Amino acid sequence: MDELRAELKRRIVETLDLRDVDPDSIPDDAPLFGEGLGLDSIDVLELVVMLEKDYGIRIDNKELGRRVMTSVASLADYIAENRRSSGAPG
Amino acid sequence: MSRGPSIRAFITGLGVVTPAGVGLDAQVRALLESSVEHRPLEPLWLFEPGVGGPRPAGQVPRELPLPGPADWPRTHRLALAAAEQAMAGAELPPDAVVLGVTTGGMPLSEELLLAGVKDPQRYRLHGSGTVAERVARAVGCRGPALTVSTACSSAGVALKVALELIRAGRCQRVLAGGADALCRLTYFGFSLLKLVDPRGTRPLDRERAGMSVSEGAAMLLLHAAETPHPGVIAELLGGGLSCDAHHPTAPHPEGLGAFLAMQAALSDAGLGPRRIDYVNLHGTGTRDNDAAEALAVRDLFDDRLPPVSSTKGVFGHPLAAAGAVEAVVCLAALTRDLLPANVGLTEPDPELGLTPLREPRRAELHAVMSNSFGFGGNNAALVLGAVRNTAGQAVHLSGPGGRLKAPPGPTACLRVVGSACLTGAGHTRETWERFAGGQRCAGLLPDADVVRELPPRVCRRQKRLPRLVLALGQALCPDAEAGPRRIFFGTGFGPLSETHDFLHELFSDPQRLASPIDFVGSVHNAPAGQLAMRLGARGANLTASVGDSSFEAALLMAELLALDVEERETPRARELLVLGADEHHPVLSPLFDPCGGEPADGGGALWLRPEADCAPGQAGPSVRLRACRLAPERPEDVAAGLAALVAELGGPAALGERYGALLVDLPAGHRQGGERWRAFVQAAAFPGPVVDVRPLLGEFASASAVAAVLAARLVAGGELPAGLGAGRGPVALGGRGVLLVGLGAHLTAVDFSP
Repeated sequence: MDELRAELKRRIVETLDLRDVDPDSIPDDAPLFGEGLGLDSIDVLELVVMLEKDYGIRIDNKELGRRVMTSVASLADYIAENRRSSGAPG
Repeated sequence: MSRGPSIRAFITGLGVVTPAGVGLDAQVRALLESSVEHRPLEPLWLFEPGVGGPRPAGQVPRELPLPGPADWPRTHRLALAAAEQAMAGAELPPDAVVLGVTTGGMPLSEELLLAGVKDPQRYRLHGSGTVAERVARAVGCRGPALTVSTACSSAGVALKVALELIRAGRCQRVLAGGADALCRLTYFGFSLLKLVDPRGTRPLDRERAGMSVSEGAAMLLLHAAETPHPGVIAELLGGGLSCDAHHPTAPHPEGLGAFLAMQAALSDAGLGPRRIDYVNLHGTGTRDNDAAEALAVRDLFDDRLPPVSSTKGVFGHPLAAAGAVEAVVCLAALTRDLLPANVGLTEPDPELGLTPLREPRRAELHAVMSNSFGFGGNNAALVLGAVRNTAGQAVHLSGPGGRLKAPPGPTACLRVVGSACLTGAGHTRETWERFAGGQRCAGLLPDADVVRELPPRVCRRQKRLPRLVLALGQALCPDAEAGPRRIFFGTGFGPLSETHDFLHELFSDPQRLASPIDFVGSVHNAPAGQLAMRLGARGANLTASVGDSSFEAALLMAELLALDVEERETPRARELLVLGADEHHPVLSPLFDPCGGEPADGGGALWLRPEADCAPGQAGPSVRLRACRLAPERPEDVAAGLAALVAELGGPAALGERYGALLVDLPAGHRQGGERWRAFVQAAAFPGPVVDVRPLLGEFASASAVAAVLAARLVAGGELPAGLGAGRGPVALGGRGVLLVGLGAHLTAVDFSP
């Protein structure tokens, strides 16, 4: 799980062009949007596409998106769970 | 407003094509008969829908014959259909065409890109500005042919620009509206933003889940007159523009921008909110738009809400054409005594606090409002009025080719209070030094140098063009708070990096997944929207896309709107930022821009202050667009066109008296082996230096924006440096100005006077 979290932090920084952010400095439980990294609704959608492309995870409604993308930890949990249930390699 | 418009804009012709068919009757029928089960929205059939399956979309019926050559993009043919209809009863061609267009030739360009076609000739109608140009040529208009590209508010803004052309006395007749054909870029782009309702749009509904993307074209023929005459359809009473300066896509949560635009439109029309009998909402059906718009409408009309509805449940959202299609809906309302229903609605969202019309109703209407809001936070609102009992009233239409004798109100002088540019040579200082030495500035400034003064966070999610624009803004207004509140941006081809990257990813992914950030950034007005956010600029925010004359078009729009500011506003609210920029893209530029040549890009920006008069000797030079007309299309007619341009400028003697030097922007795609240059030099018979700027600045559509900055500096310095004098040494301008002449598809002249 730690590995997935670290990987997600790198992918978030890359995907959202957060050049001034060191991936390792993102706390697992810190809020990703609003106050935390200062990300907005378009960033959420960009991550939704990244998750679908790279992890085969579909997030089709806003509520789910908001819940899943609360923090790196919640995102990693959701990916791990859904990969397991779909039998995809984890 | 600061002027009392005595010249009014009457609508004497209209043309419309939508998924409901062609002509006003077809639209009225759709407005009366549509229901959530039966409406002109159908599952996508125009192209492959991708793995999600076809979503409901608005598509102009396939059995409908469209005019124009088969190798024209769909947008151009839809536009021509509307234009021919609007002009059907007119005896004379319009003096100008003003259209709102976003994706231009994209429907065809997508096919060509997918097929790997590399021949630039096939992409010649890609540019958004080519739609208005083709329409103008088809209806015999000599231009200007202007294009506004402010995403979903484009046509609303275009109609406001047309209104000001009429009021300023610059035109007798203007054909104005908008056109957009459905293409993959927009269909998939809005899907990826989760803004498309899979069940078909349900504006203002409690369960609303997005829009239905659509297509169409609509145009109004506006006629200048002091009083209505028999046969006029209605009157365009006013228009208001604003910018949210809040977010690239989401509206201001309190609907501030929408409120400001509607308020400005009422003020412009000289009407109080109680005089509005109906509001045609932007009402896209997205959660955020409808919520913000409802707040704004309730704020504006307070306790007396007029009947409201969104008609996007009937026609879908035709993006750049929406403002024009809905202006036609308003004309249907005014002339057929019809309050249109909010189709798609099952249960109104109680949180909106609106009571949308559930069924069409009969009512005699006098004045109605139409809203159009777009990405980039660009907002427009229009007010249209009924013209009744006109029989027997005096007719005050001017004759063929006539111009109104005197401008109806005060005209502003635009004083240059600051300027900045970017080229391959570097920022303003580096560019000026090389240019003054007669050395080439053309090239691509490395990205790190472009953004050297910008905080990294500002550049996040921004590719080449918005970075060029933000860098120009930063150079000109390092103190954002003190910067101008109104932005007029010209770009020939828009954000090519975002467009390319989005399409490339979309075409390579079997699931049609691509970056929403790229889609949002691909609209032509995204850079100006970013700059507005950076400067907190909530005033009018326009993006013009008129090929090589995009900067000149932005300047014209700035002149037209210079005095369009509430009197209570501060002097700073009157200031304007006029800029032009284009990026070079290694894949798309060689296909879209016929100029070719060595890669080059950049831009230029002027900070302008409207002043009562342009007395010389004040601080800084003044700038004024003196001519903007279409060049003749046939090579053998070009010499006559250039002679007409020189005549419009007062003839060769006047040129020699007024100007110490000419800067000429002649795009490579129009050089005709040097023919055009020779013809111009001959027609102008100019005694002083004539500087050919493209070889110095490079081939890109906004090269003239850079030339404008350099011209302003030449005039401020009072001499043409030795490097530009063709061996004559420094040439004193002798108190005279510099004229920047554009010789592309439009022939333009911009005056810089001391």
